[in-house]
Amino acid sequence: MQLFLEQLTNGLAVGGIYALIALGYTMVYGVLKLINFAHGDLFTIGAYLGLTLLLSLGLTDHLGPLAGIAVLAAMVMGLVAVIGALLERVAYRPLRTSPRLSAVVSALGASIFFQNAVMLLYGARFRVFPHDLLPTTAITLFGVNIPVMRIILFATSLLLMAGLYAFVQKTRTGMAIRAAAIDQGAAKLMGIDVNRVIMYVFLIGPALGGVAGLMVGLYYGQINFTMGWVYGLKAFTAAILGGIGNIPGAMLGGLLLGVIEAMGATYISMAWKDAISFLVLILILIFRPTGILGERVADKV
Amino acid sequence: MRKKWLFSLLIGLLLFPMMLCQAQAQVKIGLMAPLTGSWASEGQAMKQVVDLLAEEVNKAGGVLGQPVEIYVEDDGGDPRQASLAAQRLSTRGIAAVIGTYGSSITEASQNIYDEAKIVQVATGSTAIRLSEKGLKYFFRTSPRDDEQGLVAANTLKSMGFQKVAILHDNTTYAKGLADEAQTLLQADNVDVVFFDALTPGERDYSTILSKLRSAGPDVVLFTGYYPEAGLLMRQKKAMGWDVPFLGGDATNNPDLVSIAGKDAAVGFMFLSPPVPQDLDSPEATSFMAAYRAKYQSDPASVWAVLAGDAFKVIVAAVQDLGSTDSDKIAEYLRTGLKDFQGLTGPIAFDGKGDRVGELYRVYRVDGEGNFVMQP
Repeated sequence: MQLFLEQLTNGLAVGGIYALIALGYTMVYGVLKLINFAHGDLFTIGAYLGLTLLLSLGLTDHLGPLAGIAVLAAMVMGLVAVIGALLERVAYRPLRTSPRLSAVVSALGASIFFQNAVMLLYGARFRVFPHDLLPTTAITLFGVNIPVMRIILFATSLLLMAGLYAFVQKTRTGMAIRAAAIDQGAAKLMGIDVNRVIMYVFLIGPALGGVAGLMVGLYYGQINFTMGWVYGLKAFTAAILGGIGNIPGAMLGGLLLGVIEAMGATYISMAWKDAISFLVLILILIFRPTGILGERVADKV
Repeated sequence: MRKKWLFSLLIGLLLFPMMLCQAQAQVKIGLMAPLTGSWASEGQAMKQVVDLLAEEVNKAGGVLGQPVEIYVEDDGGDPRQASLAAQRLSTRGIAAVIGTYGSSITEASQNIYDEAKIVQVATGSTAIRLSEKGLKYFFRTSPRDDEQGLVAANTLKSMGFQKVAILHDNTTYAKGLADEAQTLLQADNVDVVFFDALTPGERDYSTILSKLRSAGPDVVLFTGYYPEAGLLMRQKKAMGWDVPFLGGDATNNPDLVSIAGKDAAVGFMFLSPPVPQDLDSPEATSFMAAYRAKYQSDPASVWAVLAGDAFKVIVAAVQDLGSTDSDKIAEYLRTGLKDFQGLTGPIAFDGKGDRVGELYRVYRVDGEGNFVMQP
């Protein structure tokens, strides 16, 4: 039982990160029907920018650890959002009216570009965040030892997701995003500036991906230029699992994938962990082709 | 008109480097290394070491009165890319090729070099079967996994551990080593309480550590690579579990300590061929001085230094033979080369092309994050 609870917390912590990244995939898919393969690399860029800003500005020395990291997170979100918007301008907008495959190829190209740019700028060796930044205390809940940072990490993910959900459901811009997701042409006729909506999507998704990169860097301490690949793939899976195009679906899919992985590794086989997660994905897609909460059928790619 | 102009420009661009190559007779040596991909740091260090040594040789007048030229191809740490790289290199008229790091990557290129009759000296590929195929032109400066498995089992036994957990990462290399160690340990009635694999490239290994802990081992033998080893040490400390770890030779990389943090890495033990910093032979000391002067740091890992050894034996063979003929080089490396002083100690090859001699040492990470060779 203790092992079960311990693995549940492990799974949820990883799943929280998957969910944050999955939101970027699902928002872009919802509005553009495009899988933004460069999203995992925006996550990497978030981690590296966070490291650079942390080391060069010394925010945590001036403001104390928590306030410093909060400011840092805001800066990373802003910067990665700008990169995301630029990505859309350069790589996706010119292809908006082209066949969908061209945009996917462009996304793959952007991913390779970002990955290698990061490698050339920062080098191929692993980069490491300072070790003494975060508190290492742990608390004991139901006989399970949980590091406090894990809880903060998970709470931050939930908070960001809740914020996004409120934004999309309650604000006028959010309503415009939902409208554009349903039918771009009709949204245009209703006076919604679709280009602007798409820009918002490419500001919000990358910002969340970037801050997830920062969180991974801060907590796990180690980053390298290929880290976005594994996280990107898992988050993409999470988005599909929950129903791509659906925001609560991405959150649910991310958390679920984290827990499935942890449980599969514990009770079946660690080496088969990924095979088990993908098997669950296949089973869910057989019985619910649109994912758990999905409504529309993903017809291409 | 414009097209014609562009076309002739392109032809010119193609011909120009060709003419440059023709201008001077050279001893050409290939280097196949993972310059990109997840082992890029290893590959770039390999290139740094080989570049440095080639520069030194050329300053001293070259080989047979000709300068040495290094032809580098990126294998990306990927078998498919490696076979392309091998095909490209084998058309460049090279005398021999150095590389590469991963065993499965080397394997993809072996037959291509063999058919092209090019001597290949692998540097980090320790999988047993690579030299069991009877390939005439294949050599390696790294040791073999069966030797390492034996050293691992003996080390664990001599330390008196009774319940051993073995963790690998499903790569050819790590699984081979884990299997070897498991067989040897079980033959000696040591209890292997856990045997499973993690997925490399992830960040969170708490799930695996929780499961490992519930198996209750005295010691964990991890046969994978340093990025995962560093994370395991760090997360093991965060969950307050105090168990000794012994790593295989792929954990020998200073980045292990920076990833884990000094206080989490302390006590980590690993097996490895000795790094040049720990050897006091004149070859090792002068190489370290030159490397530090050029790159302002120590080599990233021992595997890059083994690429340097590969370069040195190739150059020595060409120099002594007065020829770049592949058959002669292969014959010479097998039979003529005895107690050649390399950067990692004396080098000689057996009939299969494997390096002979006891190479492995046990290292331990001290409180300052240094790797200390155990007596």
